[in-house]
Amino acid sequence: MDNSLFQNVLEGIFSAAFLASVLRVTTPILLPSLGALISDRAGVINIGLEGIMLISAFTGVVFSAYAQTWWGADTGRMVGPWLGLGMGLVMGVLTAWILGFFHLKLKADLILSGIAINFLGQSATIAIMYELTGDRGNTQGGLESMKMPFIHLPKFLNDIPVVSFFYQVLDNQSVMTWIALASVAVVWYFLYRTPTGIHLRAVGENPEAAASVGIRVTRIKYLALVLSGVLAALGGVHMSMGYLGFFQANMTAGRGFIALATPYLGGGHPIGTGLASVIFGSFDALSVRVGSLEIPSQLPQVLPYMATVMALVIYALQNQLAVRVRTLRSAEGEGFDATFWSAIQRLSVLHMFMAMVAVFGVLVGVSMFSAPKGFLSLGTDWSTSTVFLYGGLIMAGSLFLIGVNLPFMLDVERIGRHPLASAGAMVVSLWLYLGLVFMLFVETTSLADHSVTLGFLIGLAVSIAIWLALGGLHLLQRNHRQPAPAQA
Amino acid sequence: MKPKTAQKGNRLTLPLFGFVMAVLTLLFLSYKAYGLGLGMSLSEVKDAIQATPGPLSVLLINALAGFSVFLLIWELRWDAARVLLTVVVALIFGYLMTAFFSLDAADSLIRGEFRIKVVSDAEALTTINYGEKIATEFSSPQDAVSYTFAGRAGDVVSVLAYVDQDVELPLALTLRDENGNVLGEGTQATKTQTRAFRRYLTKKNGYVIQDFTLPEDGFYTITAQAAEGVEEVNAEVTVALVSDAPPLVDFAYNSKPVGAIFNKEKVSNPLREAEYHFAGREGDVVTILAYVSRPEVGMDLQVTLYGPDGEKIAFNDNATDAQVEQFSRELKSTRDAILQDVTLPAEGVYTVYVRPNPLDTSVRIKETIKATNKAYDAFLLGPLSRLNRWVVWIRDALTLILLGLSIAMVFRARQFSLGAEGQLYFGALVSGVVGLTFGNLPSYLLVPIALLSAATAGFLWGLLPGALKAYLGADELVSTLMLNMVAQRFYEMVLTFQLKPPDAGYTYSDWIPENGLLAPIVDVTGDQVTIAVYIVIAMVVLTWLMIRRTPIGYEIRMIGANIKFANYGGVNTKRTIMLVMAISGAVAGLAGAHLAMGMHRRLILNISVGLAFEGVVVALLARNNPLVVPFTGLLYAYLRTGAQVMERDANISSEVVRIIQAVVILLITAEALVTFVRRRRIRRRGTLELDMGEGQNGNGSLTPAEEGAHG
Repeated sequence: MDNSLFQNVLEGIFSAAFLASVLRVTTPILLPSLGALISDRAGVINIGLEGIMLISAFTGVVFSAYAQTWWGADTGRMVGPWLGLGMGLVMGVLTAWILGFFHLKLKADLILSGIAINFLGQSATIAIMYELTGDRGNTQGGLESMKMPFIHLPKFLNDIPVVSFFYQVLDNQSVMTWIALASVAVVWYFLYRTPTGIHLRAVGENPEAAASVGIRVTRIKYLALVLSGVLAALGGVHMSMGYLGFFQANMTAGRGFIALATPYLGGGHPIGTGLASVIFGSFDALSVRVGSLEIPSQLPQVLPYMATVMALVIYALQNQLAVRVRTLRSAEGEGFDATFWSAIQRLSVLHMFMAMVAVFGVLVGVSMFSAPKGFLSLGTDWSTSTVFLYGGLIMAGSLFLIGVNLPFMLDVERIGRHPLASAGAMVVSLWLYLGLVFMLFVETTSLADHSVTLGFLIGLAVSIAIWLALGGLHLLQRNHRQPAPAQA
Repeated sequence: MKPKTAQKGNRLTLPLFGFVMAVLTLLFLSYKAYGLGLGMSLSEVKDAIQATPGPLSVLLINALAGFSVFLLIWELRWDAARVLLTVVVALIFGYLMTAFFSLDAADSLIRGEFRIKVVSDAEALTTINYGEKIATEFSSPQDAVSYTFAGRAGDVVSVLAYVDQDVELPLALTLRDENGNVLGEGTQATKTQTRAFRRYLTKKNGYVIQDFTLPEDGFYTITAQAAEGVEEVNAEVTVALVSDAPPLVDFAYNSKPVGAIFNKEKVSNPLREAEYHFAGREGDVVTILAYVSRPEVGMDLQVTLYGPDGEKIAFNDNATDAQVEQFSRELKSTRDAILQDVTLPAEGVYTVYVRPNPLDTSVRIKETIKATNKAYDAFLLGPLSRLNRWVVWIRDALTLILLGLSIAMVFRARQFSLGAEGQLYFGALVSGVVGLTFGNLPSYLLVPIALLSAATAGFLWGLLPGALKAYLGADELVSTLMLNMVAQRFYEMVLTFQLKPPDAGYTYSDWIPENGLLAPIVDVTGDQVTIAVYIVIAMVVLTWLMIRRTPIGYEIRMIGANIKFANYGGVNTKRTIMLVMAISGAVAGLAGAHLAMGMHRRLILNISVGLAFEGVVVALLARNNPLVVPFTGLLYAYLRTGAQVMERDANISSEVVRIIQAVVILLITAEALVTFVRRRRIRRRGTLELDMGEGQNGNGSLTPAEEGAHG
């Protein structure tokens, strides 16, 4: 392996510049994710986010470009971005309202209408772009779009030791990124602190019950769809006027669909959704960095999608578990051991997470088997059989890790019955992952020579600590006191 | 369920009607596909049919298309009318869209390149312009040149005079205003000046008046001659006028014509009118010509002359035949404009204003409708205009029918799985790899193996989200969308890094050997309809049998109707949901195999761009009925092919068809539209009997379309 190249990639990942790029690519995922969250919580899942994003992105470009023709270069340059943003929002709201009208008034199926909105977004933007510029690919040739302003932080912050890191991350970010960060707080406040937000969640939980206490369900659903349209529109405008500076056919590239998944990953909470979006953003930014390592670029691109599927599974399993716990609590009454169950819930998430990372390993292994030629450049003297060997090793290791974690996923009470076995499975998997990460981190410091030993030692210590902190301690103590209760 | 009384009346008439429609479809399609004409004699018809490649297969496929019409009417009965009505409404919407895009069609009447020229016997007032240089041969010390230019107050100009490279000649260069006052004299160029004007000056042979700011609007004169005391002169002297300011005049009498293009296509801000300036003296008699650059340009021009103070002096939008003859080098027709023998009233800068004759609204509307009709003509009849387009239509339809079947199946069980795209990619990849690897096997072994492995790959890729949904409760919509992306990237990776020939500049695999391809039955210069036709027929029948005649089909229908009820009724809903998603994946995998082995004959990047979503429309239009899917697949493929023809012939983006698609989905799923119509019908009849069937569930589009009528 080309050591210096590898080193560069590593240093790139552990740096402020990388975090800044994570923020940049997170913004267009975060905004529609919050939109998806609102519509989800109101029980009207908005599949049309992708289409709305495209429509707004295109509208923004068109109006910001025409502002210069209408009002001359100087005024146009000042007004253009905001006119683009405003018209993008108007179109986003309009499209979301059309979706709502068809679903709520004409009783069309919400999912299929959402698909139709996506069709509309993809095709109408291309058709109109073709009319305006004669190009089906992007607007670079015909329309001179403008970018949303970038926010510069005061320079002196860069001289303060710790603050300077955050300065480097946050300086020169698009105003849309700040809007996105603010939206997390605004959406949280809206959902949890305003009457409308509480009504909205009530409608999502149980529309009939909400209607019976006098909440106007249809109006709330309209509101939720329109708000999701606003947030998706912001994301779309950021794509074309903050991220790239022109419109490209299908430029959202599935972000509207990813946004549907992030609320699941974030546990249905705005802050969780924000963190989930950051995870997707990091994968996105990572795939750019890893691109210079000459492994097939498709591999890192696949990871976020795979992670979404995994997140769906974790979310679904956790929901099942939560229902179980709730039933048990009402059944057992006084005898219900709340600490025990919360420990189980936390540890089961960790098990699932471990298995999820192992699925990536399987994916990498499968890729190495099906396209060995793509990986030859990883080592100087690698041949196809070396790739097969490493692929096989990765695959076997991953399957092993899935194998040891799976029993605890399918039957979570096994964690309580065999805490030591669970601890073993978890620590082994955590140790492997964390050891690898710490090893790579040490590689970038001056202690590079001892990276392997150091990394794996730190990894072992941290993984045991995590297991104990998440509830392993409680399980161990409990196990000493009494045998695990036989569960029905 | 249909009431019995209503059925009795329909029992004979509907099938008969269906039969007639089927035969009509067959006749029309064959008439067009064979390229027959109304006035042909019998022998000519025979020749035309024999000239068609694979005439019997063409007939067979057309018969099948006719039969699909029969199935539509037979299966959906009165609902067929709604399906067709939806499509018609969407097509009307598409017509309006096309009309909207054709609004600028009339612009072709005011589009084109034009030229402006001023002809006069008088001497031109200005002889040099900003950015111009003029060279003159000097042969005696008395030779001198004098050039006049028009300038604005505040224009910063530089005047240069120099001789050709090897000759040393001191020059006297002066700049004078209208009254003859000397404003500046040239000095020998310094090094920095030489560098600054390096486009003109090469050595230290130049004389410069640098950055002179003109004091007022008016005419200025540059003179250059050999300096005093020079004995012998034999050199070429060039005078140049340099300024960043826009020139005040664009042309002079009899100079080269100027021009531009009006209303250029596909430009965000096209030129709609133009102004040009020339300088004139009092009493000059000028003729101004505005004409199109080539006779083919159909633009009708008009020209107006404005004086130095902005007053209108003359206007004309035509030329007489005599004038066209007189200025035959310039004027192309009487549509061009001429202002002949205009006497200028004062000295100053005159403005020639030219634009195409504005169009009447009626002309605009007429042109728009004409263009829209032309586009829609291509759209609606294009697929039948040539046999190779017919082939493209049928070929596309086969893929879409398979995808429609695949999606109809899962929608029947009310599972919103959109995984067909990913399953298609895997099917294409696996069948392609099998074909490429085992190319030496005989065709009768290789093709079935490739098809089977494609179906298996699709099956497994459908099993995954099916299992996640059934056993873990993971939302199938999001998971299938994500798995689609995974499949696409995986396909891309294998294609780019493994299958692509190493030194190829494109991202295609090698051609799949003949043994691994589906055999063609109609071959129009490389565009083929293959035996996939039979596979599709088999799949339609099998899907229909599965849904209508097998226990699992019954379970699927029960789950689709009411999953809780199905659970109480003892259906293993989890297993059935997983299975139906997997089986649908197998069918989608076959569609992928058709793309690889029947259409592209190798693996290409982006082998499908959202085809599966179009399968959704096919399934929805067919009300998720496998026997109707062939009709809707053919219909939708017809529109797709037509849109491509329209894009080529009428320059309307083929995306219009996807907008139509969106409208179709919205209209076909909007249940309230139907209830509205039905309620009126019920009110008219005064009974409630028609409402019995769909009163139970909120969303009829995804429930079994009126069962029991024949099954």
